[in-house]
Amino acid sequence: MAHEMMLLALQLGVILVVTKLNGWFFSRKLKQPKVLGELVAGMVVGPYVLGAIPLGSLGALFPPVVGTVPVSPELYGIATVGSILLLFSSGLETDLPTFLRFSGKASVVGLGGVIVSFLLGAGVTVLLHPAVHSIMDPEALFLGTICTATSIGITARILGETKKISSPEGVTILAAAVLDDVISIVLLSVVVGISAVELGGGSVAWGGIGAVALKAVGFWAICMVAGILVAPHLTKRMKGLESLGLVAELSFGIALLLAGLSEMAGLAMIIGAYITGLSFSQTDVSAEITERVKAVGEYFIPVFFAVMGMMVDFRAVGAVLGFGILFSVIAFAGKLIGCGFPALFVGFNLKGAFRIGAGMLPRGEVTLIVAGIGLASGAIGADMFGVAVMTMLLASVAAPPLLVQAFKGGSGYRKKLQEPDAGDVVTIELDFPSERAADFLRRTLADSFRSEGFFIRTIEGSVKSWQVRKEEMVFVMKRHGSKLEFTGKREHEAFVRLMLMESLVDFQEFVDSLKSMEQPEMMGAGLLMNMFAQK
Amino acid sequence: MKIKNILSPAVVTTSLKSTTKEGVISELLDLLVSAKLVTDRDAVLSALMDRERKMSTGIQHGVAIPHGKTSAVKNLVACIGIKKDGVDFASLDGEPSRIFIMTLSPLDRVGPHVQFLAEVSMVIKTEEARERLLNAKTAQEVLAVFGI
Repeated sequence: MAHEMMLLALQLGVILVVTKLNGWFFSRKLKQPKVLGELVAGMVVGPYVLGAIPLGSLGALFPPVVGTVPVSPELYGIATVGSILLLFSSGLETDLPTFLRFSGKASVVGLGGVIVSFLLGAGVTVLLHPAVHSIMDPEALFLGTICTATSIGITARILGETKKISSPEGVTILAAAVLDDVISIVLLSVVVGISAVELGGGSVAWGGIGAVALKAVGFWAICMVAGILVAPHLTKRMKGLESLGLVAELSFGIALLLAGLSEMAGLAMIIGAYITGLSFSQTDVSAEITERVKAVGEYFIPVFFAVMGMMVDFRAVGAVLGFGILFSVIAFAGKLIGCGFPALFVGFNLKGAFRIGAGMLPRGEVTLIVAGIGLASGAIGADMFGVAVMTMLLASVAAPPLLVQAFKGGSGYRKKLQEPDAGDVVTIELDFPSERAADFLRRTLADSFRSEGFFIRTIEGSVKSWQVRKEEMVFVMKRHGSKLEFTGKREHEAFVRLMLMESLVDFQEFVDSLKSMEQPEMMGAGLLMNMFAQK
Repeated sequence: MKIKNILSPAVVTTSLKSTTKEGVISELLDLLVSAKLVTDRDAVLSALMDRERKMSTGIQHGVAIPHGKTSAVKNLVACIGIKKDGVDFASLDGEPSRIFIMTLSPLDRVGPHVQFLAEVSMVIKTEEARERLLNAKTAQEVLAVFGI
């Protein structure tokens, strides 16, 4: 036990150092997403390359482990926590109203991607694999399923890095990717059921397969609805504990619980984590939770990507290189066409459709889960497992730069995003004699709102803007030069006006006290006099 | 916050007698003292008048919202007074004030008082609601305007 833990500490240390440095190198020097640097770092130091080299009495730092995952269960566990943190914070950063608004479009995109990818993947296997003659052959079924799942992790990371999570394309990709994973896992249960029968003989038990599929879909739907309804009440209670740190820690605890339950229901853990994040995203403490979760994520998420890189066995890939490359290209085409083409019909232009197609390219954890189950059940051999890994690798390496490039330029959505009804929105303006005075008052006002339980976060943009929020009351405070502007719903206008007035009265008191202050220059002179005092 | 948890017939009067700002505020304060919601009358009166000196609480359309922060209360307390003839309250629109909604809140927080006033102002936003208040004969009729 002590040896395993010592090895784990060494492995984590090496992973953190190499992923962080390589991530920095990729983002600063090569202008590529950090995640790519982390994946490559994992491949290089992993059990199939440098990690296998024995280091004196210690032995190999990453001794290859037999089974579907070539790293130790302890390290894989830490990587799993990383993936949960990643999807939890992606959920937190998603704008829930936009997510819900685009979920219909996402379903079309996700389903299109799954159907086209499955058919292309299974079809090309039937055409090119000499031993496979029918689409119902377990090998064709597995390779088709391998094509379907999108790695929401890689896409989420890039969307997060480029601040596109809440764009129409961003939410469509994330919602479609979540749906894809759900459908892929349902498809997996069906494929496993059929394969078991075909390999062992007998008839297909559709009832049992249907039950598994229903459980997965049911769990997903119930958690989504319950999470969205419960989270605001839950945070209200948790705020009573008067520690924002505690609120963040408890909500991550809930994310872990839901991740575990999600796995129990036959879904991937990351789906539970994403749903939890999405549920908390609409609460007034979401920015505070995100900030804290991201800080922890910086330590664990690179471990997840490094471990993904470590799964690549270059020798297994080498044997089926030709078929692997062709299969990868087909898998790319499946997603680009399957997701991009339907996107054109649900309001996106060509640019948006390409972004969505590119965003759905990365393959990851679910691909490996599917391939691993196929390998373990004997439905596919080590060569086809190699093809799956290769597809994942090529897609994961090609997608990030493609996605970053695709997201440059204007909107990919044909319609303008709907603004709130102008009649329901009120703007209050306050003019001050100077920028400095306006900024001083802005800070004073922010403090008064904070002391009343409001949360204030900076909004990125050209003008200085802050979101001021407490439960369902939200308004935006902006400073244009020497002017302060408050925009919010009409129903909250009276409250905002009264709060502003109270703060101004307080300010008046402060100004009066300043006037009564002894002359500041005398105070300053007194300070300097004492500097050179004798003795 | 619910208006009905703060207001009751004991803290409502439809017949204010004073003709000065300080007189009206004193009369309203007496309501709170008789209802045993405030103990240190003098300190509270000076807090209220202090606030009036900084900025008058007479707003528009005959509505005034005298308020103060004091250690003499632990929770928000409020009372309502009506004076049909009106009193010069140095209001923003120069009109005499007729409807007085007075609140006292603990020193450390302005939120509950602002929340309460925001809710009250939603109710008396309309001319019709203000007319109903001015025509009310009993405390119960006043409270009815607030749905109590």
